[in-house]
Amino acid sequence: MSQSRQFSRRQWLTTVGKATAAGAALMLAPTYARGAAGKVVVVGGGFGGATAAKYIKRRNPAIEVTLIEPAKTYYTCPFTNLYFGGLRTFEQQGHGFDELRSLGVNVVHDFASGVDTGAKTVSLAGGQTLPYDRLLLSPGIDFRWNALEGYDEAASKLAPHAWKAGEQTRILKQQLEAMPDGGTFLMVAPANPFRCPPGPYERVSMVAHYLKHNKPKSKILILDAKDAFSKQGLFQAGWDRFYGDLIEWVPLSKDGKVVRVDAANLSVETEFGEIHKADVLNVIPPQKAGAIAEIAGVTNESGWVPVKALTFESELVSDIYVVGDATIASPMPKSGFSANAQAKVAAAAIVSSLAGNPPAIASFANTCYSLIAPDYGISVAATYQIEDGKIVEASGGVSPADADDTFRKLEAEYGVAWYQAIAQDSWGTRA
Amino acid sequence: MRYLATTLLKNEKLMHIARTALGAAALLGALAAPGLAAADQPIFDAKVLAAACANCHGTDGRSPGSIPSIAGRPEAILKQQLQAFKSDTPPAGTTVMNRLAKGLSDQQIDALAQHFSQISRSSSAQEVAKQ
Repeated sequence: MSQSRQFSRRQWLTTVGKATAAGAALMLAPTYARGAAGKVVVVGGGFGGATAAKYIKRRNPAIEVTLIEPAKTYYTCPFTNLYFGGLRTFEQQGHGFDELRSLGVNVVHDFASGVDTGAKTVSLAGGQTLPYDRLLLSPGIDFRWNALEGYDEAASKLAPHAWKAGEQTRILKQQLEAMPDGGTFLMVAPANPFRCPPGPYERVSMVAHYLKHNKPKSKILILDAKDAFSKQGLFQAGWDRFYGDLIEWVPLSKDGKVVRVDAANLSVETEFGEIHKADVLNVIPPQKAGAIAEIAGVTNESGWVPVKALTFESELVSDIYVVGDATIASPMPKSGFSANAQAKVAAAAIVSSLAGNPPAIASFANTCYSLIAPDYGISVAATYQIEDGKIVEASGGVSPADADDTFRKLEAEYGVAWYQAIAQDSWGTRA
Repeated sequence: MRYLATTLLKNEKLMHIARTALGAAALLGALAAPGLAAADQPIFDAKVLAAACANCHGTDGRSPGSIPSIAGRPEAILKQQLQAFKSDTPPAGTTVMNRLAKGLSDQQIDALAQHFSQISRSSSAQEVAKQ
């Protein structure tokens, strides 16, 4: 498709060349010193990066696309909660990059450590330097170590966040399995904004499912730095129904904000000085855009990345596009779904921009499914469009409060089907 | 550059060539260098609109799971279904599609119905068709 279009354009330019001054016609085609169709470097192989690389290649295979991702198998954070619930294996969240390679994407397993925005190059930890015409960053999140006193990387080995999938996920799962019946699973939930707004509450649901069937005398305590959370009414109704008083949620206004973590003693201290002791301590700390965004100079004082809503090009540095959790894209949530949706808009914008064409009208969707019990799913869904240069919600809402069990079961099934679809759409893998 | 574009567009013969080869919109695109005002005006692209469906319905609308595939279904049915989701009385068993379709204009619904109806149901069928 794109090849024939390229050919048509060349034919057309030739025709124009004959009809007018040949020199003038040649001026019309955008040219790149580094390659005929342009070079794109994509940093990050998650939902955003993998999708962007795929959709750039699908639109114009002549563009050289290099994807930088340290992991040979990328493990998604979405659906790891079902692993804690004992409903999935860890490996089921793993995705490779074979489809991207088959599309002609140059997949480099290395770590992007520097960006020279003047020379337009990306440097890798392995020593390579890659030139780009357009750079797309999908770096996800990093943690603000010590923003929560006592919680740094060393502390996270004892009190895991498990908010990036991998070793952290396994540590939390092992701790949960080793926890005695009658123990306390304590979650420290962050203030907004953070990756995956319903995630902490789905995790608690899945941990509760595991405890109910394996360690029924145990308790879950959520200490929350906010007073409201995503799909709150639906979660709380589901908790009441399935887990009774196993789960206790303490909001900000009831001294839920944790200000100090003592990982060695598995204890935390709240704003008003109450000490809570845990058997398993899951701290989801304050977050910011992944490090490479800061290195590239695309973050602002908030630590996140302001972007142009129409294209997801950085507001601060031209020819750098940023998608996913790292961006300021509210009202879109920081979700894998949003990253995938933004990546397709950015991919189209990059292809258009390299060809000297205007960008397409952007449109986005997001659906986040959460599982409260094995056959009991809930969702929040929305579409987004651009108005006056800003992303606005065009439609949306959460599952009805009065839905019957058939509806909840269907949403549980659709949650799994969604994961299969987005895994296929992003990495081309069967999940 | 802009003057040149205007001159070219005024030339009827060239316009004809442009229409047959690429279409008038693409001609404008090809002429607009990055940085010109014309390059900032977004254009409608059904593929960008449709890509938002793939997150759940699979790439090109071919679903790998229990969410229905939408590739290669008749245009009239897709249109009717989306309009039903958008209405205040969505079909029984609707879960998220009413919440999503409410945000679509009638023109977007038409474009999506046309787009997915023109994609073959399976990628292998597409390959066979090409041979």
